[in-house]
Amino acid sequence: MSMLTNPTIVFLQFMNSISLGMNLFIIAAGLTLIFGVLRVINFAHGVFFMFGAYVCYSVVSRMAETAGGFWLGVIAAGAALAVIAFVIERGLLHYLYDKEHLMQLLFTFAIVLIMGDLAKMIWGTDQYSVPKPEGLKGAVDFSFGADLAMPLLYPAYPLMLCVLGPVVAIGMWLVLSKTRWGRVIRAATQDREMLAALGMNVPLVYTAVFVAGSALAGIGGALAAPRVAVSPGMDVTIIVECFIIVIIGGLGSLWGSFLGALILGFVNSFGIMIFPNWELVLSYVLMLLVLLWRPWGLFGQPEADGH
Amino acid sequence: MKRFVTSFAAAGLTLAAGYGVASADEIKIGVLYPTSGGGAIYGGPAMQGHDLAVEEINAAGGANGVKVVTVARDSKLNPAAAAAAAKELITKEGVNVLIGGLASSVGLAISEVARQEKVIYIATIPKSIKITREKLHPYVFRTASNTDFEGDALAQMVKQVDGKKICDVQLDYAYGHDLADGFMKALPSHAPDAEIVLTLRPKLGATDFNAYVTQIMGSGCDTVVSGLWGNHFVNLAKQGAPFGLFNQVTYISGGEIASHEIAGKMGADYPDNVVSNTYELWYHSPTDAHKKFQARLAEKAGTEETAMWPMLAYNGVMFYRAAVEKAGSTDADKVVEALRGLTIDTPVGPLTINAKDHQANTGQFWGPMKKQAGRKYRMMDPVTYIPPPGE
Repeated sequence: MSMLTNPTIVFLQFMNSISLGMNLFIIAAGLTLIFGVLRVINFAHGVFFMFGAYVCYSVVSRMAETAGGFWLGVIAAGAALAVIAFVIERGLLHYLYDKEHLMQLLFTFAIVLIMGDLAKMIWGTDQYSVPKPEGLKGAVDFSFGADLAMPLLYPAYPLMLCVLGPVVAIGMWLVLSKTRWGRVIRAATQDREMLAALGMNVPLVYTAVFVAGSALAGIGGALAAPRVAVSPGMDVTIIVECFIIVIIGGLGSLWGSFLGALILGFVNSFGIMIFPNWELVLSYVLMLLVLLWRPWGLFGQPEADGH
Repeated sequence: MKRFVTSFAAAGLTLAAGYGVASADEIKIGVLYPTSGGGAIYGGPAMQGHDLAVEEINAAGGANGVKVVTVARDSKLNPAAAAAAAKELITKEGVNVLIGGLASSVGLAISEVARQEKVIYIATIPKSIKITREKLHPYVFRTASNTDFEGDALAQMVKQVDGKKICDVQLDYAYGHDLADGFMKALPSHAPDAEIVLTLRPKLGATDFNAYVTQIMGSGCDTVVSGLWGNHFVNLAKQGAPFGLFNQVTYISGGEIASHEIAGKMGADYPDNVVSNTYELWYHSPTDAHKKFQARLAEKAGTEETAMWPMLAYNGVMFYRAAVEKAGSTDADKVVEALRGLTIDTPVGPLTINAKDHQANTGQFWGPMKKQAGRKYRMMDPVTYIPPPGE
């Protein structure tokens, strides 16, 4: 407990919470977007994340130590997942929208298994390491010349994530609230039949949303790659964390997942200091409490009717 | 849908028929390694070593002149799945022996099935001391090291680096807890003035270690003693290095993070001041037998820079072969008698299975991981073999 009285540690844990939360948000945002419009709970989101990390690794390893290599990897991961998602949505998922939820769920679960094996065929079972990009390898000094017992250094890479998360959130919010496409997407979350009746090409909206949401998972995977080992199985934990986030925040709500991701970040960082033996269950307990209090999540809306 | 199910079942049957049918003129080894999901990183190479051993035995005319066949099952990292697979191997496939396991929890689960079914189980990788102590039974044997051996070596390393304030960081499951116990038992005799200033138990499969790094750095310890294996270590290192963690502490670790599959893949991301262990190193040949083994493995793996896991799987099969030949039979009780006190030559020298606790005297190589001129990865330098305590 004494660590909680050390301001340096509290500051660092605060930053840890935000950087973890923001990395998770970028991934979970895609999941919540897809659910909001398509009403499909996409289990494959985690495996999309894993593919993003692998694609990033492949690009970075071919670019050697070039400065821009990592960022090219991030873009390539987003693009690759966009293409994969397009093929999956147009070729398969597209035909399942009027089927029951269970079928859709099984379908996305099948994608998890297929793509998991595919990843092993392409990249093998080794674990890979993606180095941090040039310019973000070091740490930023927050002590501002003050003489502290423990240096107030925070690594540049997670600091960048702290900034990037809100940028993505605001960007998505602007697109959703200020553009015509955004209005169409929001309309699709409200009433897809009405949208179709008004002459909108609803299937196209669905494809676009699935592609955009999946690209976010890929980008999230690429951004996580310098922090974690890229290896088979990295999709398992992330999908659970993403579900916790979107359930806490409210399925389909952008700001809900933003808040949910931050909460999970704080629970992870401070939870292990305060309740070291309960860290494992803490996030689940939190999810349970939110579900008991507001079954539709903090920012979600109760289902008005049977859409 | 129905047709789909039928064809699926048919495909399953065809696959099953591909395995050898039980008969007296072959010895069936049921092998269990994780070959899917996160465990595949270890299970894949382990299977290479297993296959190499079986190929060598058959090329030499089999065990006791009987051909050896393998029936492989995915043990995952899941004790329940592994126990079910082990049961199925015994009841449906009629295997003569179970070999393998990776996670300690999985090893304990397979061992329990072996006890009930009275079939020999040779644990080649799981290290939890419970397998050969609290849960010891006549049919379980271990060719891996164990958490008491490894804990003792950790304490020796603390003495070597003159660690005083220790952060005890172990994973929150059977292996981590048992390794911490083994270390605590050994610490007073090796480094009596060292004290534990912080205890952390990250969960198995954790990927975010920033919060742990912050606590370690705030605790003022000079040495971290750990057993975070595989990706746990990779993630801790990648996240901790920018904080300056590895400049502040000496990181002593079990869990074989000195093995080349970790060091080679991490390359420049492998941090400073790490002292760790491994069962085997492709660049360190203490015996001619190792040189030969390594060359064959390199051919099979398609790279000279081979992994550590194959040798563990290889030794398990070779112990079984030697026991069957000594017993002159595959009868479980006779082979049990043969395994007790059995010594075989392995690529890292002769190993003996203790007749009392069924534990092989498997030691490990320990040393600091140093940058090497002309290499993109770190290598252990110097390499020191630490035998089990009391040897």
